[in-house]
Amino acid sequence: MPITDEALLREYKGLSPAEFFYRNKEIAGFSNPTRAVYQTIRELVENALDATELYRILPDIKILVNTYENNGTELVEITVEDNGIGIPRHEVPNVFGRVFYGSKYKLRQSRGVFGLGVKMAVLYAQITTGKPIFVRSSTPYSCSIYEYEILIDITSNRPIVLNHKVYRKEKRWHGTVVRLTIQGNWPSARRRVEEYIRRTAMITPYANIYFKAPDLEISFKRVTRKLPALPSESKPHPHGVDLEMLKAMISSLKEDLTLKEFLMTNFDSIGETTAEAFCKWAGFSPSIKVKKLDLNDLTLLMSKMKEYDKWRRPRGKALSPLGSDLLKKGIEETLKPEFVTAVTRKPSSYAGNPFIVEVALAWGGNIPAVEKPLLFRFANKIPLLYDEGADVCRKIVDSIDWSYYKVKFPAPLAVVVHVCSTKLPFKGVGKEAIADVEEIEKEIENAIKEAARRLRSHIIKIEKIYELQKKKVTFEKYIPEVARALSEICRVEEEYIKEKLIAIMEKVLMKSSKGREEVIVYAKDTSSK
Amino acid sequence: MPKIPAPSDEEVLERLEKLAQKILKMVEKGNPPYLEIPVRTLSNTIWDEEKKILRLGPQKAIREFFDLKESKKFMQTLLMLSLIVKARRENDYPTIRDLYYMGKHTIAYRDHLGRKCTEETWYDQRESNSVIQDIEVSTGLLREHMGIMHDAKGKIVGNIVVRSKGYLIDCSKMGSGAYAIPPNPDRLEIVKVEADYVLCVEKDAIFERLNEEEYWRRENCILVTGKGQPDRSTRRMIRRLWEEFGLPVYILTDCDSYGFYIYSVYRSGSISLSYESERLATPGAKFIGVTVTDIEEYKIPKNYIIAATERDLKRAQELLNYPWFKSEKWQRELKLFLKKKQKIEIEALSGHGFKFLSHVYLPEKISKKKWIE
Repeated sequence: MPITDEALLREYKGLSPAEFFYRNKEIAGFSNPTRAVYQTIRELVENALDATELYRILPDIKILVNTYENNGTELVEITVEDNGIGIPRHEVPNVFGRVFYGSKYKLRQSRGVFGLGVKMAVLYAQITTGKPIFVRSSTPYSCSIYEYEILIDITSNRPIVLNHKVYRKEKRWHGTVVRLTIQGNWPSARRRVEEYIRRTAMITPYANIYFKAPDLEISFKRVTRKLPALPSESKPHPHGVDLEMLKAMISSLKEDLTLKEFLMTNFDSIGETTAEAFCKWAGFSPSIKVKKLDLNDLTLLMSKMKEYDKWRRPRGKALSPLGSDLLKKGIEETLKPEFVTAVTRKPSSYAGNPFIVEVALAWGGNIPAVEKPLLFRFANKIPLLYDEGADVCRKIVDSIDWSYYKVKFPAPLAVVVHVCSTKLPFKGVGKEAIADVEEIEKEIENAIKEAARRLRSHIIKIEKIYELQKKKVTFEKYIPEVARALSEICRVEEEYIKEKLIAIMEKVLMKSSKGREEVIVYAKDTSSK
Repeated sequence: MPKIPAPSDEEVLERLEKLAQKILKMVEKGNPPYLEIPVRTLSNTIWDEEKKILRLGPQKAIREFFDLKESKKFMQTLLMLSLIVKARRENDYPTIRDLYYMGKHTIAYRDHLGRKCTEETWYDQRESNSVIQDIEVSTGLLREHMGIMHDAKGKIVGNIVVRSKGYLIDCSKMGSGAYAIPPNPDRLEIVKVEADYVLCVEKDAIFERLNEEEYWRRENCILVTGKGQPDRSTRRMIRRLWEEFGLPVYILTDCDSYGFYIYSVYRSGSISLSYESERLATPGAKFIGVTVTDIEEYKIPKNYIIAATERDLKRAQELLNYPWFKSEKWQRELKLFLKKKQKIEIEALSGHGFKFLSHVYLPEKISKKKWIE
């Protein structure tokens, strides 16, 4: 956890957090000029969405990319503007200029937890171009708009304010504009960025997203004014505790509490009975003062908390799934399928962390026929673009026997998986692939199967329609031949016979559709195209 | 047995038109049109014990135009019907291959997904031949009546004189050749027959050899070959010689299940053309050889004996169950074949010299009545 981590870093490495990240920029996703462009845009867009959506503001996000050359190096200027809650004037320098600033000890689902990413972007800009971050912001109740230009002092981990201006607010504007100039490769990042914007639009159908680069302009209008339910802040679950977290929680206590009181007031789902039962089981006195516990006691306590199996399950109230309706809307707007169905599962948990899985299957329409299902992965509403092959979702999707659900490849099938959790298990440092955690794997699989059953019914319905259309095509193909033959033999007008045959055909088809009007309407629609 | 008169040209045309009129009536009444076609399979083939021929049973299939599986066949049937009617009206005599080409054309259409596609009215002559047979059974008319020709392959030679299109043909004056039996032997006038019997051999090569020796002159008989599985005109010719002139008919084939079946086609008719047996089968035909018993009786040298294949045995097993092979002698022959698992060709008789067949085997079989029925 942040405060402790910072202390640890100082203690063991003698590095300031800023210096540490500066030396390990690959970890944060800034490994090369292509990835850096993608990562910077991602960090800024995600902050913008958190600044709106978590405060019940319908997001209006504008992303502008400019490129220019300076002494043979390609510079990319990225500006992201939101209509969010804004940042209080005195907080701006620390928010952008100090690593690990402002972390709170509450758990709830959001895109970025400690705003680390944006500071990495600031550092990256600083080391590649030397240019400061530009910030303009205003909160709803502030009567001024303020601008900053900030650099980070890497060794002391403090913001350096280069420029600061304050204006009177003329209109009722609030929000934040952030601009960074980095060394980057826009042409090669373009495809990923575009994909990222499209996928972001898919998972935030309630947002207006406008993107403009020299060679690319995309705009997504919101298709709903409904925001997903807000996650409430919750305390950690005892299963999810670790040693550093325990130490930090105790050291931040204002008064010394007994173990029983500490458990009841600082953790999710622990009442008096449970606290006492646990202490008895773990061999701790419930009345021992927690500040008296030494490192050995704490280590034992932590492992006992993890081991105890009678805690109530973590609840999902800290989570903010999109909900099946919004997910469907987002997919309809971005993939334009013929059919979409979505499933939002009930909250579940792994190692004390609550999580919810949402899955949607989209079929037909603008989705191209592919050899294996297209996969769209999201973690806490963030699109995951890299490392798909390593992701547990890919593994599950590929292991499903789709033929059982009437899907014959190549098929126009897209699978959308959204996992939200207060703590997501990622594979590797890139945070682009969800790890194989048994509980999550099971939930994803069940969700996909539930959605696939609905897809199956749809495909069966469509196949019936196709069958009817095929019949119609067959009869229509032979009617002229039959009419000509009969006309020649019986010396009757060919057209007359043809008309009669067509009338009989309509009657026959109507009968074989068993009065299912939708089928008839659909069959007529597509055949007239 | 009464002779079956061939229908007049007017009657043929009328019956063909009537079939189309029936369909037109259904269409005009707003009902889905269908054809009623007698089924041409083994299950609808009946063995007529009394007449000793295979006949078409009573089963009929409904071929509906508005049935996905039958639609194309229905269209093909009407297409063929119109071609035949047109030929009759214009007094043309197309072959079955002509009809195939006359009816073959491309239909362009869009499939259920709107893609441009094409389809041929038929891809294969088997398809057009099949609907011709359907029209035959539906109208009770034979294709010979409808003036439809085919590549006739039968040959005849011997003491018989026929008249075709006014020309007299003496089949004893063909030299090394033979008279080719025309597609519709009913149009032949048989002027004179001075023979004691008809010998029908399966194989053309044996026919040529016997003709070269003038076996027919020495034996005072008529020699015929159908070159393997006989076509309709060969069978009709044989039938006429038996029916109209009371000549005994002897069949000579290889000694194997296929040879046996060829004999039964001459005698009783075939499964797929059972509707024509009345006209084509020769219930008096006798199987003169080569029999399984002959292998020992005539001491066929070992190098002429061939091991029967699985298919031969399977076919023999089927023959064993056909009602028209239920005679005591045939049952014994077939069981012997299944037991010995041996077969021989007619040529095996040459193991005793080239003249053995014509000078010893055939005269002996006929004079001593060593045949199977």
